[in-house]
Amino acid sequence: MKPAINIYAKFLVLIFLIFSCSSDLDFDQVNDLKLEPVVVANLTYFDIAAHAFVDDGNEHSIAFDSQDFNPFRNSLMREDLIKTEFNFEITNTIKRAYKIDLLLIDGQNNTIETLNFDIPAYSGGNSVFNFTEVFENQRLANLKRLQKIGFVVTMEAGPPLTENSPGNLKLRSAATLNFDIEIEE
Amino acid sequence: MKKIYVFLLALAHNICFSQNKQILYNFTSIPQSLLVNPGADVSYKYFFGIPVLSGISANVGSSSFSAYDLFADNGVDFNDKVRNVVNKSSGKDKIYTNQQLELFSGGFRIGGEGSRSYLSFGGYQEFDFLMYVPKDMAILALDGNRDYIGKSFDLGDINLRAEILSVFHIGFHKKMNEKFVLGGRIKLYSSGANANSTKNSGFIYTTNGTADENIYYQYISSNLELQTSGLASFTKDEYDGNITDDLIHNTFFNGSLGLGFDAGFTYYYKKNLQFTASIIDVGFIRHTKDIETLTYKGSYEYNGVNPSFEFTDEPENVLDDFDKAIPRDTLYSKYTTWRPVKFNTSVEYSFGESRFEDDECSCKTPSERLYVNAIGAQFFAMTMPKGPFVAFTAFYKRRLFRKLELKTTYTADSFSYTNIGLGVAGTLGKVNMYLLVDNVLEYSDITKANSMAFQLGVNFVLQDSD
Repeated sequence: MKPAINIYAKFLVLIFLIFSCSSDLDFDQVNDLKLEPVVVANLTYFDIAAHAFVDDGNEHSIAFDSQDFNPFRNSLMREDLIKTEFNFEITNTIKRAYKIDLLLIDGQNNTIETLNFDIPAYSGGNSVFNFTEVFENQRLANLKRLQKIGFVVTMEAGPPLTENSPGNLKLRSAATLNFDIEIEE
Repeated sequence: MKKIYVFLLALAHNICFSQNKQILYNFTSIPQSLLVNPGADVSYKYFFGIPVLSGISANVGSSSFSAYDLFADNGVDFNDKVRNVVNKSSGKDKIYTNQQLELFSGGFRIGGEGSRSYLSFGGYQEFDFLMYVPKDMAILALDGNRDYIGKSFDLGDINLRAEILSVFHIGFHKKMNEKFVLGGRIKLYSSGANANSTKNSGFIYTTNGTADENIYYQYISSNLELQTSGLASFTKDEYDGNITDDLIHNTFFNGSLGLGFDAGFTYYYKKNLQFTASIIDVGFIRHTKDIETLTYKGSYEYNGVNPSFEFTDEPENVLDDFDKAIPRDTLYSKYTTWRPVKFNTSVEYSFGESRFEDDECSCKTPSERLYVNAIGAQFFAMTMPKGPFVAFTAFYKRRLFRKLELKTTYTADSFSYTNIGLGVAGTLGKVNMYLLVDNVLEYSDITKANSMAFQLGVNFVLQDSD
């Protein structure tokens, strides 16, 4: 197949000759390609009814759960994420104050950091509270160790709840992810 | 992902050149015109192509942008140029490349002196690549989804096929009478490498969630499939061969095989009014060698990582759920691809009888005289995954000398409305040469061309009359 390859070489030379009467092109510009997508994604959600804090007439003031969550196992997330912002929207229509802790936990079960939100008791006025947490630089580098999220909801003292108490404690949240993807490895 | 971008951009390097061979079609001074119409009115005692030099063709087309748009050295930030190209493209815009290299070809008249039956044969190598601009995926990669809440990103935008193959063929055409030439050709395809991902569907959708949902309603429905043959072994870690050598070997000696045919005719309504039509590459390839099919099929609604506050021991992992819902599967089943079928037809009116004073006197009887001029129209269509590619051509042919003929064409297609082509074919002694170039208007600055094609070749021909 050697002759075929020689012909290919000539063929390419011919193409380049044709190209000689052309505008200046700079193919090295490919190296300048930088993708900077901004992606939004759900983060976490729960909705607890007031009566869920009451069991057989007794209040239990702490709810706890943990979930495995390791988005940084993806290399794009690990290497090209330069900033992320967590936006929380917490709605409380229960006449009790709450403390919500989100524990960001690494692979060794160490807490990287705890995000805590103090939510006042509902008194007929504003029930929606927004919080923003921005992760950049060292804080982001730490976040990239994330393997698990722990959720601790603590009910503060206040007027007793019954099985028929109205209201909900609801958390909605999303992450905004800023990437910086460059072609050059 | 990065590699895909590098690949797409490397491909854009070539963009400047469209598989319509409008200049070659019915240019019967060239024996290779039989490849685009096996029923072309070509006659010879015998011919053979100078190996490898007899037919070289390359076509590159991009319907929405040119190399200049992306790579002009004009100080504009490259990322802005990419964004402009993506913005002005649609999911129907395509990037197309076809290259053919004739390895050997020949033909001879069969039967006795008075016979007008001809046999022809040959082998050529072909590379074919077609990709639609994956506009939605490009937007997602450039901008992400934040500014596109409520937009459904169409995964069906991912549509491409690529093949490198060798074709061995044998054809027969016969002048049935003064008015009618009929021909056909059978082809054996040997595909060295094929990648095919043309039936994708699905979407990625993000919109605002309702009050009793999370912030967003996010849904992915994916029906993606990439079939490959002759490529899987190159991607394995343990592969330590030479890809070029192995690809060439597979293309000629160890390819996935297929069969096809071409057919065509020429009909003279009057001596100077001619109709032709041909259908090329009606055939299939059964992919059996080194096959691997990759699929991502499924759907998933992503709500985030959500605690239940029920103390179940079972650890949940939302990302694993995603992987289970849309798994990456690898299949090893044989598959069949159809060759892109091409259809050509033309009408040609000739006028002005020749008075050439070459080795013969022009005292031939009028019925044997050549016409000097011909005008006509051609239509070309080719199957593509998102609907056929069509082109309309008007042409003028002029015989300068008895054995030197020019053809100029004007073609309108989805790549360009201003495609002027020029072809010249001459025979000096027994050597027949031709050069066909299209999109000549773009030669003043070829980098701004949306498509280009050229063909050239050298043959050794002994005419019927020689």
